[in-house]
Amino acid sequence: MEMGDKDKFELEKRSDNHINYHSPDSMPSDWRYSSANVANSSLGLVSTDNQMPVCRGDLVGVSSCSSASMVDSFSPGQWDHPTNSQNLGFCDISVQNNASTSNPMGIRKGGPASLRTGLDKTLDIGWNPPSSMLKGGIFLPTAPGVLPQSLSQFPEDSAFIERAARFSYFNGGNFSDMVNPFGIPESMDLYSKGGGMMQGPQEVFPGSGLKSLSVVQGQKNVMNMGDSSRDTSLSVEHVAIEGSPLKNEKKNGSLVRSHDEAKQGVGGSGNESEEAEFSGGGRQDKPSKLEGNGGELSAKSPASKKRKRNGQDADLDQAKGTQQSVEAAKDNPEVQQKGDENPTSTPIKATGKQCKLGSQASDPPKEEYIHVRARRGQATNSHSLAERVRREKISERMKFLQDLVPGCSKVTGKAVMLDEIINYVQSLQRQVEFLSMKLATVNPRLDFNTEGLLAKDILHSRAVSSSTLAFSAEVPMVYPPFNASQPGFIQASFPGMESHSDMLRRAINSQLTPMTGGFKETTQLPNAWDDELHNVVQMGYVTCAPQDSQDINGSLPPGHMKAEL
Amino acid sequence: MRAPQSIKQEFLKKWILGLQLCDFAKQNMSMLERKKAIKLSADIAIASTRNGMTCWSRALVAKASRDYGDKVLVERMLASESEKLKKVSSIGLIAPNKWVIIRSKKILRKSRRARRVRSSVPQSVLAKSIAKKMVKKRTQVLKSLVPGGEFMDDISLIEETLDYIISLRAQVDVMQTLAKATDLLNERAKVQAQVGHLALAAESTASPTARLISDPSEAFFKQTRESPQVTRHQGHRSSS
Repeated sequence: MEMGDKDKFELEKRSDNHINYHSPDSMPSDWRYSSANVANSSLGLVSTDNQMPVCRGDLVGVSSCSSASMVDSFSPGQWDHPTNSQNLGFCDISVQNNASTSNPMGIRKGGPASLRTGLDKTLDIGWNPPSSMLKGGIFLPTAPGVLPQSLSQFPEDSAFIERAARFSYFNGGNFSDMVNPFGIPESMDLYSKGGGMMQGPQEVFPGSGLKSLSVVQGQKNVMNMGDSSRDTSLSVEHVAIEGSPLKNEKKNGSLVRSHDEAKQGVGGSGNESEEAEFSGGGRQDKPSKLEGNGGELSAKSPASKKRKRNGQDADLDQAKGTQQSVEAAKDNPEVQQKGDENPTSTPIKATGKQCKLGSQASDPPKEEYIHVRARRGQATNSHSLAERVRREKISERMKFLQDLVPGCSKVTGKAVMLDEIINYVQSLQRQVEFLSMKLATVNPRLDFNTEGLLAKDILHSRAVSSSTLAFSAEVPMVYPPFNASQPGFIQASFPGMESHSDMLRRAINSQLTPMTGGFKETTQLPNAWDDELHNVVQMGYVTCAPQDSQDINGSLPPGHMKAEL
Repeated sequence: MRAPQSIKQEFLKKWILGLQLCDFAKQNMSMLERKKAIKLSADIAIASTRNGMTCWSRALVAKASRDYGDKVLVERMLASESEKLKKVSSIGLIAPNKWVIIRSKKILRKSRRARRVRSSVPQSVLAKSIAKKMVKKRTQVLKSLVPGGEFMDDISLIEETLDYIISLRAQVDVMQTLAKATDLLNERAKVQAQVGHLALAAESTASPTARLISDPSEAFFKQTRESPQVTRHQGHRSSS
């Protein structure tokens, strides 16, 4: 590869890595640059060669979180060669300026595990912006069309794809957080583990253009896009698959190699070659299709898949050319469409289950089973895949529980969280028991006269008063007339109430004044409660005037329960 | 997500309905019986707010329906509810085969535990297995807590727990306000009674001789002035 490019990429990459990983603050700024660049250019975002549009959006936010930690551990060294050759394209200018070559080198020395995590982070970051952008719908509609053109402009981004793939692999657990803002629950499930996988690669490979970005975003955005989606799905899949942090040494090795290979791929076919590498030549059926879009992304995704398969395989090296990459890109859609019939049919299909990226144009909108794509370095056994999906679902739901159960925000880990949940449920159940016992003693006759309650509630509890009022309003029952009594009773009991109590008062006065007399009687004549009870109950059910109830409901205080799903 | 206010309102409505259906006034119930009836109607009410969509609500209704004495109340309460709940109350929650499945799972688990081989495994694996065991134990406990939890898998268990917690909170809130309100009502009644008997005392003092002599209740009233209940009755009697 040309040294110039390589250097540039290296710089970019390093800077990216450096920026991303070394400090969240710096990263956002860098990203901003890159995103700016990206934004400036058209969808193709190929303002400069090797410039990959980076979806700013969430990139900054998300990546900073995830990348920060990972960056340090990440050893950009690996990236140097392949990524440099590719257009990381972040903002070549800005990035380069910020890039610090020294750090990457230092980082490179880091352990392989860290490397992986770093990659993941970057991937997360990288993927983030595209996803965010995709979400905005900017890219999605245009990506397919535009990308091909822009992609073609991109220089070989085999490295890019590879990087993206790697990032997705290494992505830590932030993915779900990052993905969450995108509001794509399904993908969340799949990629929650992967955390910012998707985002990482996206960030990393801004140059890959929207396509890659969208792909990186993977799950969600990819699905939506048509052609690009395919690529994205590929990459997404890769990302997803790669998202899970890879702990094996093997991965590092493969990464390095893939980098190299990616680099080589960069040469001519660029995306395609990358794709070819990644896809492992599995599917080279449709070269043309993926060329444009899939280019980088597809290369990435298949590359990631491939990496999974071939590990340190030199397959990446194969300059399969556009066909391969295209195939790889195509494979994704096919794979996805096929569902999980071909678990091992192609190397790319890493797993029996495919990630169903909805963006696949040809994919049917619904499938009965969940498609999951194995992440890089993970077993492709269908059992483990199912396990992973299940685990991700569980962790996602545990997050909701964390919000619901008070005092669980800092707790991590299933066992402790379950402990808290159990304690909370037990305490709530005990409270119910206690309160029912209390009500049994306080109310010897169990005559819950509603108007009395209403009066009390209004005085002392907004919630109950509103609820009881609403309740009485909602229970339209016709009851025999009741004894008239002092209408002012209830009024007298509303000293200094809030505005909504005024409404309540109105309602009560208008409809329930007769009941007050009954109420008084019941409290004062406990012996004569049989009739009184009925009266009271009936009176309690008298509906307020509709407007009153509406007013009351409108003035109801905000929900008392904060936890709302 | 349902608004908590609407949950509470719906629950209160149904609960009051159920309490009325309990017909407390007619029977001579002990405190425990009353408490049971209150709790039962509260449970059925909160379960019916879910309209049979959630597993725990159906399980709750099914459990309540098992005892014949309660079943009548349950059916009456659910008279206006969706078909699902009615079916549950009549049929029961789980089909027999599900019970078989659960039982066989338990047997499997026990047998696995029996023949576990303590092998020396690397630290990481050991830690993982311990963690898994902990999680498993807690899941078991949670399953026993959530009604109908035995029949759910992990994922739906968590969802049901989420929903159950929300409903429980609404139930507790409403019951608390109701208890508070009844407390206040009683206090107010007491105060009024005292006020009443004070007024009475004022009256009686106005014409002390005749009253004191002729009205035995007055004397009684004076003697028992300290006791609020008595005074209340006195006050009531005098006012009525």
